[in-house]
Amino acid sequence: MILAFALVAAVLFGSGAYLLLKRDLIRMVAGIMLISQCAVVTLLASSLTRGQAAIAVRPGDQVSDPLPQALALTALVIGLATVAMLLALVHRAIVVFRTAEQDEIAATESEHEAKLEQERQADREEVEGSPEDEEEPETARDAGRSR
Amino acid sequence: MTGNRAAAPEGAVRTTVDWQGWTACVAAVAGFVLCLLGWLAGGGGFSVPWAPSLDLRLSFTFDGLSALYGLLATGVGALVFAYGTRYLTEHLEHQRRPMLERWRFWPWMLLFALSMVGLATAQDLVLVFVFFDLTAVCSYFLIGFDRSDREARTSALMAMLVTVVAAVAMLIAAVVLYAVHGTFSIPELLARADSSATTTLAGALLAVAALAKSAQVPLHFWLPKAMAAPTPVSAYLHSAAMVAAGVLVIGRVHPLLARSEAVLTGMLVVGAVSVVVGGVLALRRDRLKQVLAYSTISQYGYIVMMYGIGGKEGTGAAAFYVLAHGVAKSALFMTAGAVTSATGQDRLSELGGLGRRMPVLAVASGVAAATLAALPLTVGFFKDELFFKAALAHGPVTAVLSVLAAVLTFAYIGRFWTTLFLGPPRGEVGTRSGLLVAPVVVMAAVAVAGGVVAEPFTRLAEDAAAVSAGGPVDLSPAYHLDARPENLMALAAWALGVLVLLLPRVTGRVSRAVAVAGERWGPKRAYEVVLHGLDRLSTVLHDREVRDLRTSIAAVLVPAGLLIGLAFAATPTAGAYVVGTVAGADWMILPLLVLVVVTTVVIARSRSRMAVALALAVVGFALAAQYALLGAPDVALVAVVVETMLTLVFVAALSRMPHDEPVPDPAIPLRKRRRKDALSGAVAGLAVFVSVWGFLSQPAPSSVSDEHIRLTPEAHGGDVVTVIVADFRGLDTLVEITVLLAAVAGAATLIRRGKLW
Repeated sequence: MILAFALVAAVLFGSGAYLLLKRDLIRMVAGIMLISQCAVVTLLASSLTRGQAAIAVRPGDQVSDPLPQALALTALVIGLATVAMLLALVHRAIVVFRTAEQDEIAATESEHEAKLEQERQADREEVEGSPEDEEEPETARDAGRSR
Repeated sequence: MTGNRAAAPEGAVRTTVDWQGWTACVAAVAGFVLCLLGWLAGGGGFSVPWAPSLDLRLSFTFDGLSALYGLLATGVGALVFAYGTRYLTEHLEHQRRPMLERWRFWPWMLLFALSMVGLATAQDLVLVFVFFDLTAVCSYFLIGFDRSDREARTSALMAMLVTVVAAVAMLIAAVVLYAVHGTFSIPELLARADSSATTTLAGALLAVAALAKSAQVPLHFWLPKAMAAPTPVSAYLHSAAMVAAGVLVIGRVHPLLARSEAVLTGMLVVGAVSVVVGGVLALRRDRLKQVLAYSTISQYGYIVMMYGIGGKEGTGAAAFYVLAHGVAKSALFMTAGAVTSATGQDRLSELGGLGRRMPVLAVASGVAAATLAALPLTVGFFKDELFFKAALAHGPVTAVLSVLAAVLTFAYIGRFWTTLFLGPPRGEVGTRSGLLVAPVVVMAAVAVAGGVVAEPFTRLAEDAAAVSAGGPVDLSPAYHLDARPENLMALAAWALGVLVLLLPRVTGRVSRAVAVAGERWGPKRAYEVVLHGLDRLSTVLHDREVRDLRTSIAAVLVPAGLLIGLAFAATPTAGAYVVGTVAGADWMILPLLVLVVVTTVVIARSRSRMAVALALAVVGFALAAQYALLGAPDVALVAVVVETMLTLVFVAALSRMPHDEPVPDPAIPLRKRRRKDALSGAVAGLAVFVSVWGFLSQPAPSSVSDEHIRLTPEAHGGDVVTVIVADFRGLDTLVEITVLLAAVAGAATLIRRGKLW
């Protein structure tokens, strides 16, 4: 069984990693979900004892290890929270950028940044006067370097 | 201080008193007095823990070797600093730089002196390494003082890279010795080390670090470049600080090196080659400071040769030589600086006949040159006498080499002095400063005093050599007016030296050929090739790394993964993996696990987002069923709830999104990309498989679960899991709820476009 659990965890994690590498944001979320499933499977597989549910235990009963179960509960709930949050984020991104491709989003981002930088540059030039003043120390430094 | 304040309102151009420099000078004088008192009092030391968990101690002992190098560093330091107060002021004025730049000079000079004294007294190998590198750092900033000068910057970098990279060998040696003997303390190591392969390895590594520092062939090329530094720095670096640090370390660990005949022979060979290469190249250099720089390589070659000869005679002669050379070389460098400052020229071909115009300097530097050339009535005569004696005792080949060394020294330093001060006058002599000549005169006086009464020098060298030889050393340099071999060797050296001096055309051709060969195939070229290669490699790697987010992450993860893989490959894993047994409910779990695997593969390969969402639900529910079969009803119940929620949320999110599926980007071949991703996924899966299987195979012998089960009735509960979540690990649950609330708030805000309510 140990081998079987390890195999399942490996397949879950490997597929999750593969999906995370996709460009589609939705599939990335799916990858994260698979990886958190892998965590829960591993936690429960690490139980030291197997038996009946650890409810109303009498002395001498063979019960399942309760501690990994408690940890798995935490993992499940936290997984739910993060995935819900991620989905909301992805949803918002898709609505704003009209695409679920991370490359395209990055491209749009950098375009936007460049535009902002241009505006900032224009502002600075307006405040500080002509751009020639800025160039002078630059050329002086170049001359020093070439010498 | 007052001068500074008075001059300030009149503008920065006016010269102010260099009180920083004078402070450094006073500190050096105080250090000299302290070292002298310490030596006369017989030394002493202390040792306090530094990093006890690493067995490191701050242990300092002031012994004979410390006295020699401490006196040299502070004594030469005091004179060089006094010289520097004038030189630096002129230098800054000449380059129209603010006097404030003194702050970028004197602190480093002082630290230079301090780290030399620290290196001389340190008794812990790691501490020695720290001071060793500290001198390299100081030299970097001092050589690169003229930071607007590209030449100075590359020279500073070269000096630092060559010496610091080589110094790593010392650290490796320290670790190797620690692994065998369990201590970094040098005296203990010297006592415990025996003749073994480990000792030979450690000795060779220590020698490499020291020889690079002492600018020995083939790692000598940084020293002539380092003349880009202001002259006081050169004078100090060549005579008492940076370069001396290398032979100081050799002197300190010499008993260890002497355990291996191979290391001693290696040093002898390296020293002899350095003597010849440095001497031949010095014969035809044109720039004053370059002649002296190649001379330093050659002179330290002598010292390394003597340490290679070893024994009481070798180490004693080496210690004496360091002292005499320090006096002569600092004076010669300061001469070069004074001449350049007075005439504005720094080439021998443009200078000449200065003797009549600068008589005091001519005499003083003549004494210094005579000291280097080992003429009688200077302390230099004794240095060569001891050198010849040690060489004779070692063998005929070494004796011939030693005479050759003396011939070269006589020839190049003779050319240096005669060209400068004799012959037809060349070069204009401008303003002369007494402060640039006085230190040279003092040094010359010391050299003559040593030539008449050698006793203090001899005692200092004997004490220093006692540390290197591991026992009392008796040196008895004296003038003997008879035909003993040392005297004959000296006479032969002078005669041949004069001959070489009189045949400039032949020697010039040889020297030029060696210089051209060195330029073309020498180690400097290898250094440049390696440096440019590394630069290109770094650029290529950087370009790859910053291409996009994936490559940036891969740049971190791939090397980390490789390292972990290597660590894993090195870990013995025989018997670490257990397959486990299948019994009872396991036969129902196995099909569920198969279902999970199949569905997961479907998710990975699916084209449709909706299929992904539904398949994720299948995985979740199958796992929930499996939890129930494992005897975990609480987890199974929560999993069912969570999966239901997630499926609903996922489908809801999909339904609110634009419906276009991703189209493949034509710029990147899709198949190639998919294959790469699949490979990454497979590697990740494999890593998880190996680690999860490994840790599941090695269960802990016991856990706190038993305690939890026992205490559950006391917590007024029946379900152990519930009690753990709500009581035993209640704080965890509280944090979990907080996370949940934060996520809910975030999700709600995102859905409602930035408005929470």
